[in-house]
Amino acid sequence: MSRKIERLINLTIALLATKRYLTKAEIFRTVEGYEGSSETKERMFERDKDDLRTLGIVIDVGSFDQLFSDEAGYRILSENYQLDLGEITPTEIALLSMAADAWQGAALAEAAQSAILKLSSIGVPADTIDIPALTVKLSNSSNDLQKITEAIANSDFLIFSYPSAQLHLQERTIVPIALANKSGFWYVSGVDQEIQEIRTFRLDRIDSELLTRENKEGFEFPGDFKLNTNETFVSDRTALIDVRKGKGHSLRSLATSSQDLGEWDQIKVPILSIEWLTAEILWHGDDAYVHEPEDLRHNIIKELQALVKNHE
Amino acid sequence: MSKSISAPLLRTARLLDLVPFLSSHQGISLKELAHHFDVTTAQMSADLTTLWMCGLPGYTPLELMDLEFESGFVTIRNAPTLAKPRRITFQEVVALLLGLDLITSSLPEERNDLITAASALRKRLGDQLGLPIQLSALPTASAEISTTLANAISSRNGVEIRYHSLYKDEITTRTILPDHFYQSGNHQYIKAYCFTAREYREFRVDRIEQATSVSVPSDLMVPTGNSEKISFSIHSLSNSRESTERFGLSGKQAGNRIELSSFSRQWIERSVMASGASVFLESPQEIRSEVALKAQLILKRYTGA
Repeated sequence: MSRKIERLINLTIALLATKRYLTKAEIFRTVEGYEGSSETKERMFERDKDDLRTLGIVIDVGSFDQLFSDEAGYRILSENYQLDLGEITPTEIALLSMAADAWQGAALAEAAQSAILKLSSIGVPADTIDIPALTVKLSNSSNDLQKITEAIANSDFLIFSYPSAQLHLQERTIVPIALANKSGFWYVSGVDQEIQEIRTFRLDRIDSELLTRENKEGFEFPGDFKLNTNETFVSDRTALIDVRKGKGHSLRSLATSSQDLGEWDQIKVPILSIEWLTAEILWHGDDAYVHEPEDLRHNIIKELQALVKNHE
Repeated sequence: MSKSISAPLLRTARLLDLVPFLSSHQGISLKELAHHFDVTTAQMSADLTTLWMCGLPGYTPLELMDLEFESGFVTIRNAPTLAKPRRITFQEVVALLLGLDLITSSLPEERNDLITAASALRKRLGDQLGLPIQLSALPTASAEISTTLANAISSRNGVEIRYHSLYKDEITTRTILPDHFYQSGNHQYIKAYCFTAREYREFRVDRIEQATSVSVPSDLMVPTGNSEKISFSIHSLSNSRESTERFGLSGKQAGNRIELSSFSRQWIERSVMASGASVFLESPQEIRSEVALKAQLILKRYTGA
């Protein structure tokens, strides 16, 4: 195995060092490790190219000589190989280390650490930044982040089944364009292929294996996309709710306005979904009472009747 | 990087990354080097031996890399081609960007210098992606509160918090002595001695609405009191994502009787109420009657009947 590794490294060095494209014949003649029949060498070389590509190393294929354009030549352009982030300051190195540490024990920890290794090879020492509160960590609630970032990188399809609010499982196919972490949950947003609109999904709700499929068609990024981790649309409808003084804190935190009514306050809360708001109101028992709209009241009454009937 | 990378390829990547690292860390000890690359020193020696056989075509001592590590300290010469670190991959950039985003929103306001530096860095890294994708990570608690709590842990100081208890639906002011942070499920918690409750309690950090440091007696010897769990059983009557998530069910348990337990009677009652028609609480009878009575009363207000 270590002969193969040696060969890959020698090939990388040769292709990086060359000033012009190298032909296959030149590579086989000069780079150590290509042995056997010409067929064997060909096969070796094809595999080696694939392997380097897997490592993210881009091999540039071009014409070796413009007069004899039938023969392909190979090289690695240093601008494609080398890290180029411009000047990096010790403070920036420190910030990046903290960013990588936030992944400790979570899905992309390995990627973050290998990035830090490369960055520390620049040779810029890190500043010491002493902020005790920076114990924040990214939650480890998804093992699919690697798959997802890869799909984002290639605009590939992600396919999974996802429960609606009524738990009907639906198969979704999206081209992912965003990844977010909020309140400890991971969300992926993408263009839903069935409706050609952007939808957001909470990863821990995905009820199947997450599959990817190569996207062979071109993909155009939606222009005016704003990341939104609310799965439902923000509505311009509001509910008028009375909440008892000193109670209903989570409802109050959603309110857009509040009016003092003595023993009660009257608040306006945007309606993200009738079902969700109904549950929120019922959670607060007799500390919350809805005046408007009628369909929300109707839904609450329906649920209350079921509660009475079921528990009597 | 790609799917699952095979062991020989991982090793190839490590060797490629070793050269620039060594070039900027001449004379590093073998042990420390192995630690940086997260391998054993034996593996690192093997890596260096392999690397020693690599170089430019020709492969005479003139072209091969010159590695010296027998003394236990590693130096490298004659490796200019690989001396610059490799480009960071898409996934590595994504990882750094999400981490940076989280860090930036967690930095205390007075460190405006760092906040500015971090956002400039985010922009530069983002350019490396070459795609207009969006990445965001928000801390679950405010930077100010996290700072106060973390400071209190390190200085063994007390904190006065305004805490929102969701089950009791009340906001209380308590003095606590924070002990440590921990992550459970998707939330960050702080374990602390609560002077109000006179026992150790756990607080969800994102429900702490305000935190001010206060001084408290530092030598505490307090036993931990364990409260009794309440068993209850429910039937999931219809499919509702909200209810299954609320009770932590698997989603395939509709129609079945499910045995659960909770520390809080209020939580059980409220959760059943909020689930409406989708859940039926079978026992305990006490809470079941309470739910029926409450629902009846509220219904009266709505229907006027």
